[in-house]
Amino acid sequence: MIVESSDQVARFTLLKRFPVPRNFKVTPESRIEKGRTWPAPPGASRIKTFEVYRYDPERDGNPRIDTFEVDLDDCGPMVLDALIWIKNKVDSTLAFRRSCREGVCGSCAMTLDGTNWLACTRFISDMSKPATIYPLANLPVIKDLVPDTTHLFAQYEMIEPWLHATTPTPEKERLQSPQERSQVDGYYECILCFCCTSGCPSHWWNGDRFLGPAVLLQSWRWLADSRDEAKEKRLDTLEDPFRLYRCHTILNCTRTCPKGLNPGKAIAEIKKMVVEREG
Amino acid sequence: MNSKPSISDVTVARRRPLSPNIQIYRPQLTSVLSIANRITGVVLSLGAVGLVIWLTAAAMGPRAYGAVHGVGSSWGGRIVLFGFTFAFFLHLCGGIRHLVWDTVHGFELRSIYISGWAVVGGSVALTVAAWTVSLLLAG
Repeated sequence: MIVESSDQVARFTLLKRFPVPRNFKVTPESRIEKGRTWPAPPGASRIKTFEVYRYDPERDGNPRIDTFEVDLDDCGPMVLDALIWIKNKVDSTLAFRRSCREGVCGSCAMTLDGTNWLACTRFISDMSKPATIYPLANLPVIKDLVPDTTHLFAQYEMIEPWLHATTPTPEKERLQSPQERSQVDGYYECILCFCCTSGCPSHWWNGDRFLGPAVLLQSWRWLADSRDEAKEKRLDTLEDPFRLYRCHTILNCTRTCPKGLNPGKAIAEIKKMVVEREG
Repeated sequence: MNSKPSISDVTVARRRPLSPNIQIYRPQLTSVLSIANRITGVVLSLGAVGLVIWLTAAAMGPRAYGAVHGVGSSWGGRIVLFGFTFAFFLHLCGGIRHLVWDTVHGFELRSIYISGWAVVGGSVALTVAAWTVSLLLAG
């Protein structure tokens, strides 16, 4: 099957998960146990089952998978609507991040049916039966579907994502031609939901030192900006066996970006720029 | 001693669980071909040992060569050699795909999938072709 754009939901997959043991590389406190089932309200006729990852830091016990039966006739069309329905009508302790409900804030990034996407822009009708909802992959879990992104933002801070200029500040703004401005198209739109970084196997194994696709795409956003004057310094920071070169062009990032951006291409551009400056 | 527990004590007492990654993440053409390229790379290194054994046997003389040839042309040996051939072509095609990527070409999602399936199809076709030719030549 040829995938034309990242919003295409896989209709057919040979394997739902990699053939590894359930607890492959899983530390004892991360082992997932069976949770409880929350049946649909009586009288509900169109029911969709959701398997949702739960973790409560204030109670003893491991993460568990709860099963919720959602009444589709009483619920909006998106996965986020289902989560809000559960929180309002079934279990008010369910924790998840959400804000804009239209795919511009990046708060509700989650692992839906095994791939990363925003809960607000995924139709319930596109989810498998049962639908599975996990917090964004490979991150410490604060509660339920709320991951701790501290490390990811620390990595983001490391690339100094702001304009660096040593030339005197002009009286008005620093000008760009439309052509120069177009160089950051496809990169400035990143909303930092970290779907890509969380879906990158290289970041799973080396996330402590590899910056990951989201941060590297942001790096390229500044390297490609004609007004920025710190290219050499930025490339010095990136040219490292781990920070940049743990990218093995797997391209799960480009497959999963909910904004349809291309982190894989951005990273290739950085690698090319490093080679070109070597001369 | 009556000190309040510090934040680090609490952290040690209760480590946050890590959300699952490879245990639940869906295999996609992107990641499957990547891991396949790794695995075939390992297979090729092992195959290189086999190649050395074959060449050494040929240099040692007819008896040693005959023994190695006997293993290689047995059914089990042929199956292993067939797998090795496939690993060779998959790794070769995958390598060419990576070379193209290094020039920052073929990164649109559509191109990624087309080149990915081309690697799969191409390596199957090349393996079958190589075996057809060699079996015909060997008679």
